[in-house]
Amino acid sequence: MLEGAVLARCPSCRNTFSTDRPGRQDCPVCGKPLVVPEPPAAVPAAGLDAVSEPAGTPWERRAQLGFFTAWLQTLQQAVLEPGKLFASARLDKGAAQLGFAVLNTSVFWALGQILERPLLIGQREQLRQLLEGMSDNPDVGPVVRRILEAQLQASSQSWVVALTLLTPVFTFVLLYVNAAVTHGIALLLGQAKRGFPATFAACAYACAPLVLLAVPACGSIVGLIWLVALTAVGMKVTHRISAAGAAASVLVPYFVLCCLMFAALGTLTLALRRAVGEP
Amino acid sequence: MIARAGRPSAHALALAAVAILLLASAALLPLEGPPLALLACPFRAATGLPCPGCGFTRAFHFAVRGRFAEAVAFSPLGTLVALACGIHAIWTALRLAGLPYAPRLEDARGARWAVAIALVANWIFVLLQGRP
Repeated sequence: MLEGAVLARCPSCRNTFSTDRPGRQDCPVCGKPLVVPEPPAAVPAAGLDAVSEPAGTPWERRAQLGFFTAWLQTLQQAVLEPGKLFASARLDKGAAQLGFAVLNTSVFWALGQILERPLLIGQREQLRQLLEGMSDNPDVGPVVRRILEAQLQASSQSWVVALTLLTPVFTFVLLYVNAAVTHGIALLLGQAKRGFPATFAACAYACAPLVLLAVPACGSIVGLIWLVALTAVGMKVTHRISAAGAAASVLVPYFVLCCLMFAALGTLTLALRRAVGEP
Repeated sequence: MIARAGRPSAHALALAAVAILLLASAALLPLEGPPLALLACPFRAATGLPCPGCGFTRAFHFAVRGRFAEAVAFSPLGTLVALACGIHAIWTALRLAGLPYAPRLEDARGARWAVAIALVANWIFVLLQGRP
């Protein structure tokens, strides 16, 4: 039953008439049969609210779910159902999203460093021997030598401690720089439909695969590639744009960031060398 | 465009903190020497040409010391970014103090083209400078 009379139009005579019931009936003007469709189901006000304002990711609801459960569910969704995770992200929960990214990256990077030390001790010894062996070889490029030297230096105990303490700060800075650059490119390409908080949510939750930093050797590479892919998924969902637009917004900044990363690494090397009193 | 605005958002505050950290690093660290990066720039290693971001760090270094001519000579875009960092940090502080205005980015097609042309122009400038 319709709740009150509605206006219907006869497809034969084009006249409008008032009726209070849906379904098959005859036109009161021309007498030909017609069907008045059912009106769309009324959406309750609470339902409308749920559509316009997502409930929040498990991490954003950690007060109800508990810290560990919320983190685990967020991680699970990021890996298995990223669309669902990004769709449920609330754009007013930037601080929570920042916390997730910084915590996830810092803890698992530190864990990776601890695990890497005993596991890759043989590799470091090989590297040291290789470096000693080629110190007189003029054919070895200075860049290769610097790479090996840097790798050896970075695995020393003082460096690991210093980097572990600085990782939250670096994660904070890099996350915002990454989000700002990604958002800038998205703006340039006309893909930033929902403002900076949407880009930030995508970049922050895309840090979920960085749990792989805890896996020695290949974990960081896999984690970073996954992060890029997840950022693209996040941009697509949070900004409600096409897959191609999201991919372009995400991949262009990595080309630029690649260069900035090298500058940041250089700055870090310089700062730590000064801190430990090396020239 | 400048529009009326309330207190700065959490993101505006965090971006101001990042801007201050970047400017402080550029002010404290001796970044003017040529071997800035730990490794060679992969773009330069592959092509022999400077990348679009080349000169950014040195532009920051000179801009925070007020040596704008030298900063622009290294990277006009880097100089602009350094200035934007400073302006954002100061503006956010003023908003915290009660200033009810904030810059508002207009998403206009013309503005997008202008930025794209500026990025390419900056790269051409860096290429023509041919610095190490």
